[in-house]
Amino acid sequence: MSQKHMHPGVFDLKSQLDTGKISRREFIRYAALLGVSVTAASQMAGLTWPGRAFAGSVKRGGSVKVSAPIERVTHPSQISWIAPSNQIRQVAEYLTYTDADNVTHPYLLKNWEASDDLLTWTLNLRQGVLFNNGDEFTSDDVVFTMNQWLDKDVGSSMLGLMKSYLDPTDIEKVGKYQVKLHLKRAEIAIPEHLFHYPALVMNSRTFEGDFIKQPHGTGPFTVEMFREGERCVLKARKDYWKKGVDGKSLPYLDSVQFINLGTELAPQIAALQSGDVDSMDMSDLPGPQAFKALKDNPEVKVMGIPTNSARVLRMRVDVKPWDDNRVRQAIKLCQHREKILGLAYYGEGLIGQDVHVSPMHPEYCEIDTPKYDPERARQLLKEAGYPDGLEVDLNVGSGWNEIVRYAEILKEDAKPAGLTVNIKTMPNSQYWEKWTEVGLGVTVWAHRPLGTMVLNLAYIADDEGKPVPWNETNWSDKEFGELLEQANGTLDIEKRRQIFCKLEKIQQDRGSIGIPFWINQWMICRKRVENLNAHPTMYMYFDDVWLKS
Amino acid sequence: MAKFIIRRFFLMILTMLLVSMAVFLITEASPGNVARNVLGGFITPEQEKSFLNQMGLDEPILVRYLYWLVGSDWRAERKIGLDLERVTSKEGFQEWWAVKEDGSLVRWKMQGEDLIATERGPQGKISTHTDNERWTTNEQGESFFWGINDQNQAVKWEKGKKKEAWRFVQGTGWMKSSGAPTEYIPIKKGFVRGDPGISLRTGRPVSKSLGVRLRNSLVLAGSAFVIIMPIALFLGIVAGLKEGSLLDRGLSIPGMMFSVIPEFVTGIFLILILSQWLGLVPGATVFGEKAPWTRPDMLVLPVLTLALIELGYILRITRASMAEVMQHSFVRTAFLKGLPYWQVIFKHAVRNALIAPITVIMLHINWMMSGIVIVEVVFGYPGLGKYLLDSALYKDVAALEAGAMIMVLIAVGTQLIADIVYTFLNPRIRYT
Repeated sequence: MSQKHMHPGVFDLKSQLDTGKISRREFIRYAALLGVSVTAASQMAGLTWPGRAFAGSVKRGGSVKVSAPIERVTHPSQISWIAPSNQIRQVAEYLTYTDADNVTHPYLLKNWEASDDLLTWTLNLRQGVLFNNGDEFTSDDVVFTMNQWLDKDVGSSMLGLMKSYLDPTDIEKVGKYQVKLHLKRAEIAIPEHLFHYPALVMNSRTFEGDFIKQPHGTGPFTVEMFREGERCVLKARKDYWKKGVDGKSLPYLDSVQFINLGTELAPQIAALQSGDVDSMDMSDLPGPQAFKALKDNPEVKVMGIPTNSARVLRMRVDVKPWDDNRVRQAIKLCQHREKILGLAYYGEGLIGQDVHVSPMHPEYCEIDTPKYDPERARQLLKEAGYPDGLEVDLNVGSGWNEIVRYAEILKEDAKPAGLTVNIKTMPNSQYWEKWTEVGLGVTVWAHRPLGTMVLNLAYIADDEGKPVPWNETNWSDKEFGELLEQANGTLDIEKRRQIFCKLEKIQQDRGSIGIPFWINQWMICRKRVENLNAHPTMYMYFDDVWLKS
Repeated sequence: MAKFIIRRFFLMILTMLLVSMAVFLITEASPGNVARNVLGGFITPEQEKSFLNQMGLDEPILVRYLYWLVGSDWRAERKIGLDLERVTSKEGFQEWWAVKEDGSLVRWKMQGEDLIATERGPQGKISTHTDNERWTTNEQGESFFWGINDQNQAVKWEKGKKKEAWRFVQGTGWMKSSGAPTEYIPIKKGFVRGDPGISLRTGRPVSKSLGVRLRNSLVLAGSAFVIIMPIALFLGIVAGLKEGSLLDRGLSIPGMMFSVIPEFVTGIFLILILSQWLGLVPGATVFGEKAPWTRPDMLVLPVLTLALIELGYILRITRASMAEVMQHSFVRTAFLKGLPYWQVIFKHAVRNALIAPITVIMLHINWMMSGIVIVEVVFGYPGLGKYLLDSALYKDVAALEAGAMIMVLIAVGTQLIADIVYTFLNPRIRYT
């Protein structure tokens, strides 16, 4: 891309980089967000982008077995959890790719450009990409797929993500390989949203609502067999557009097999140890237990990675007693953070500060970590009108071990403050049915690469003042909302960070959540599997995985 | 005897009917939200409503039960005015098509304002054409049409001013169109006509996934049964004969020990010892494309776990029953008659003592087929119990109903076998 097409924000970023205000990694991330290719950005940043280096040459052929839940997939846009997307992702692809360092690259896109006001996004498609049924990938497919996301009858979680800034009529097909998005409000995270797990691009000519019947994607594998609850077999295709280091089409593997061993960890660990499977889908497994069980096994690689994923203690602010900020502050003060991280997650993570912005987020502004202070909590409860203490129900899904342990520690540590916490456990599926309705609960929040992304999803109200769909605490704050709106349209990383300092302060002082820690995640596989890398989203990619003999 | 079996048969039909109603009611009353189970917790209320409408889940419970029991195709046929036919595509998917007046198969979809008919020729050749003659106009000037779409649903499409919306039309781009589907009837044949329906959890016919699970459970329960029963009965009889002896104690105490240790403890210890330390057998059941019997090494631990629990249980019941029978006067009489020892034991004592164990064993077959969820979970065994548990948590009515019906069949079947075996054990028992 020539310099004159470059977003002016990129030059601001460059000067910030030169004056040392932002790190190289941040520069690359933000330049990439604004449509500069990562290679160009790393050259500007004075870095050379390392290609993937291999010790020796890669070996082609072979098959990998992965233990994973094989869940219902009919419409890719309807995929409601990571695990099913890990299978379909090998067959269909995204427009963008956010890597493990949270830098977003073009994928099915050749590149993208954003207008100065971040209201118009031009997406240029990669040319010459073929679906596995021989159809060419064009802008029709992009428009069709986006339309599926935005159709309420489809039921995609992309709708909740995008509807505040994009209507179906805002998508313009400019040419065979170009699509323009005319946003209703400025949004910086478009490339990240295009990598959300249901955002797989479908073939507009053949798709009829059931991907397994017409499994036509642009990805490296084709569906050989898909049997829910049993297994899923994927076979390599010959004409995939990405090339391997040997100059021939990827993938290196002949096939990938996903086998359903249930959602319990023990049999999956046993199968991995005996070599009956090569890897496991970690997206719905207790990571720390798997890490503990396998880290010393010489046959197994355990790769950890910090994430922006948290277990959020959330309080519905329109339900008594959580409508009183003093009560919310009181329970937050009862969190002994080091103890919680140590006991609930084996210390494998970072300490949180009750703000939904992680130290790994680019905009993170350093903020004090509140101390465990039951005396102050008792005082606050007294002020709020509970001099004799308070009894509350804490809803937790029993499938998340670290959440149950977190709840138990909180229960013990809240006693000195006069706060009696009754833990109410339920199956995870039941928790998901009422995650937005319970007064006090602990919700799993997935990793998101940008700080603005979660805040826009969960802590604002819509134009009519109603909380947005994912706002599980019904908390909204006029000042917070305005600042966030401002942050959404602010490119300058330093200015953004300054806004985030205020945002974080507000959320810590009068917000509706407690976040004691940020979790690490792991990718686990047998030693013979090369190039299967950990990703904070728990996405698995098999396009350039190969097997050592 | 024939009369007895026929009576049992009708009783079974009645039981199945009652159980199916109960399962429907319990699933209905249990907490949970199907739309959120399928689409995730992050959907908007409009999406939820639309989903329930499309799946026919917003109908009254009675209607849904009737559809499940006797099918909904007859109702759809009446609405559409054409016969419907279920065909299996060459990829093995079930598809419903309407049979046109000339005998060819047809489905419809809306593109903008136009109704597009997809026709399927005799060799499976697909052709499409615009089919706008089929609209019916009511007195308000609104058009509607009942047809069948590519999702196996009977659909009512409506056209009218009120339905205006922007829609993307393939090849044309964005168009303001005034047509939209408003009502759905998912088409099914109904349980009594051999179609257990579509599972909400997998989105596929229940019969497909249930079959594999049933087979797996039969293999597990069958292997365990074959191993446990002869051993448990033999040891139980031996222990019962010498009540209070060293042999009796030596068998009863370990038996009791293993039957009171929970199966997940036994299972985990067996994995640790036999798989992790000694490396003799795999600790998990990874069958992949193969059937369980092709990997007998993987069956060892689950079967052993089951055997340890069941063995003690059956052994103790047989022992108690045997010991009691040995006290009876007819045994004493037989001895006094001078009959040889083993003849007394096998001809008189054992036959009477077996009635209680047989009852328990037959009841346990039921339990081993679907009640051993914990054993299945510990070893990752793809069995029927885990399938039913998952379905229950998901509120997947069709799968639960099918599973429950199979369990009723097994329960009634095993009871029938038990009743017949009783007549052999005790000739005084007669059924009329």
